[in-house]
Amino acid sequence: MDFSTVELSAEDEAFRTEVREFLAGVVTEDVIRRDRETGDNFDEGVHLALGAAGYLEKEWKTEADGGFSRVRRRIWELEKRRAEVPWVTWGTTAMVARSVAKFASPEIRDDVLRGVFDGTVRLCLGYTEPEGGSDVATCKTRAVRDGDQWVINGSKMFTTGAHNCQYVFLITNTDPDAPKHKSLTMFLVPLDSEGIEIQGIRTVDGDRTNIVYYSDVRVYDKYRLGDVNGGWTVVREPLDAEHGAVAAADDGLADVAIMMHQAGFMAEAADNVAALVGRSGAVDDGSVAYRLGRSVARLEASLSSPSIFGRVALAQTMRDIAPDLMDIAGSVAALPIGADGGADDRSEYIYRFAPLVGIYGGTLEVFRNMIAQHVLGLGKPNYSAPKAKAS
Amino acid sequence: MDRYELRRLDYSLTEDHIDLQTAYRQFFKTHSDIETVRAAEPSGFDKSLWERLCAMGATTMALPESVGGDGATLVDLSLVAEELGRSLAPVPWIDHVVAARLLARLGALDSEEILQGTQIVGLDPQQVAPTGTRLIPIGSIADHLLVRDGQDVVKLEFSTRPARVDNIGKLPMAWVDPAAADTRVVLASGPDALAEYQRALDEWRVLTAAALVGLVEETMTIAAEFAKSRYTLGVPIGTLQGISHPLANIAITVQSGRGLVRRAAWFLDNEPEERPELAPSAFVFMAEEAAKAATMAVHVQGGLGVSAEAAATAYLVRARGWALAGGDPGATAVHIAQIVAARESKV
Repeated sequence: MDFSTVELSAEDEAFRTEVREFLAGVVTEDVIRRDRETGDNFDEGVHLALGAAGYLEKEWKTEADGGFSRVRRRIWELEKRRAEVPWVTWGTTAMVARSVAKFASPEIRDDVLRGVFDGTVRLCLGYTEPEGGSDVATCKTRAVRDGDQWVINGSKMFTTGAHNCQYVFLITNTDPDAPKHKSLTMFLVPLDSEGIEIQGIRTVDGDRTNIVYYSDVRVYDKYRLGDVNGGWTVVREPLDAEHGAVAAADDGLADVAIMMHQAGFMAEAADNVAALVGRSGAVDDGSVAYRLGRSVARLEASLSSPSIFGRVALAQTMRDIAPDLMDIAGSVAALPIGADGGADDRSEYIYRFAPLVGIYGGTLEVFRNMIAQHVLGLGKPNYSAPKAKAS
Repeated sequence: MDRYELRRLDYSLTEDHIDLQTAYRQFFKTHSDIETVRAAEPSGFDKSLWERLCAMGATTMALPESVGGDGATLVDLSLVAEELGRSLAPVPWIDHVVAARLLARLGALDSEEILQGTQIVGLDPQQVAPTGTRLIPIGSIADHLLVRDGQDVVKLEFSTRPARVDNIGKLPMAWVDPAAADTRVVLASGPDALAEYQRALDEWRVLTAAALVGLVEETMTIAAEFAKSRYTLGVPIGTLQGISHPLANIAITVQSGRGLVRRAAWFLDNEPEERPELAPSAFVFMAEEAAKAATMAVHVQGGLGVSAEAAATAYLVRARGWALAGGDPGATAVHIAQIVAARESKV
């Protein structure tokens, strides 16, 4: 057990200074403002600069392979959060690139990875379907073979970042009669292909995601990842990482749960509101102090919760405490960031963001099912019988 | 505060921690089963269990080496407290070690008997010092009681111990009137003395939170076992999300509370000035969640759960009573807010 500040060597200290200065230089106020306006959670200029400086490659690679050491990786993560580097599209890119490295044909693999490292190639996720919800294995988007090509038809929701990406990591159904886990085939589909239509959708937190339509989209077989009908094997690995079903490191140099980055906004909002009521003197009112203290207690408990427990605790706590934090801040919490006379404490942002955090990357029910089944041993959830197929 | 500070987040236990945890889990399992717990309800205290526990070194471990103890850390003590809570052990270990440690810090621990636990010392654990007669959680069995009086930290002794009053936590609780004490010794005065008393309040809260974590985990486990074997409409009720999700939420509470208890204890051990809000936070969180979780554990077991003989109800009443022994947990929430607001509003 250890929660002490990490002693840094002179070299690592210099690295931290270098990173801090670099990020402060590239993530300008303009970048932040543009990001807020577009909801992209991506900035090409910043991303290319990170690539050119070699940071993307070092983050993606293991230490043995020339990537960051453990301590530098942790510095890098924390400093990116401090600087508010837009993160969503790099997150999906890094995740999909693992599958590319493992499953892509050599023909495309090296090119894609080179682009991932220099920032010119970005990758997004084509998992969820308009009717599919959280079960990624329920897939109606069809891919049909035609010589050395495949013809794809269907649509995907939440393809966040598609308009800033070069490829989508697409789950398709290649055998509608097979059981669902044996019917899937994965493709890395170039987003400039004919027949792809990207439609932006703004979400309530201010970010942008997309619905993407595929109409007779033709891709060459070389863009297939893994075996035909073997897509579940390909998709499961990044899903495990996305679900946080990966054990915490025992050197204490990593988040103890997934979504800790998002939870950081909640922690900052709580600190901001505490500052607000401390300065105004409102904290001397017992009803204000009680709600703030209770919110802090719940926040700190969620930040202490590991793995999939933390996955639920963080999102649930965001939902639970945001209204109280807003109430304590008072009417000024109704104002958006940057508003005239606003407090910019971000509690209202947490309120709008919290629903997203409990939905994307698997809804909280998925994780409660996992805890009930695998931790408490309660068995698979019972569902009512599926709707009978119309004959 | 700087939320991006480079600190380790290592919650792992050492082998010594695990040995300690295993030893006490086994101890309480062997010597404090539910029948033992029930049998102690009239007095709130099992003297023979207490003597066994002291013989195992549970009181001496908690005290600094300078007074003849073994200098255990609060992290160590939180592991013991969690096991005590798991078995609902009817012993005043948390109050005694917290009060004895306070005596040691004030330079007033001069009794081998307190060190060994043959004399019991208690304290008033309320965050805001009451005046006049007040309920003290182990008032009916303590040989010495520590309370605040204005700027003073005072040790009280009664030639006849105050009588126990029945209470929902099944504690050896008593009404105590400091003015009626037969001896009253001022141990220390002023801000430093009160700061040491506050430290004791924080230790009491982090250890009580740890006990509530163990309590909640055990009642959840019993309820989950029930849900596996109880059928409705041909399926185990544990496969219904109306049952399984509330139980999953309790599992999350256990993990959250346990992590926060250990982090809070580590900071009290190593950097007490750095995060003083964490120990009270662990308490406020568990005080609220323990009641909800223990109620849900009863609910899962339905008509069988509400029986006064069911283990679930023994957990239910203590989940509330142990937290409430420290006064309104809301006063602790206010204390957290004062710490955090002062820190965050500093320019």
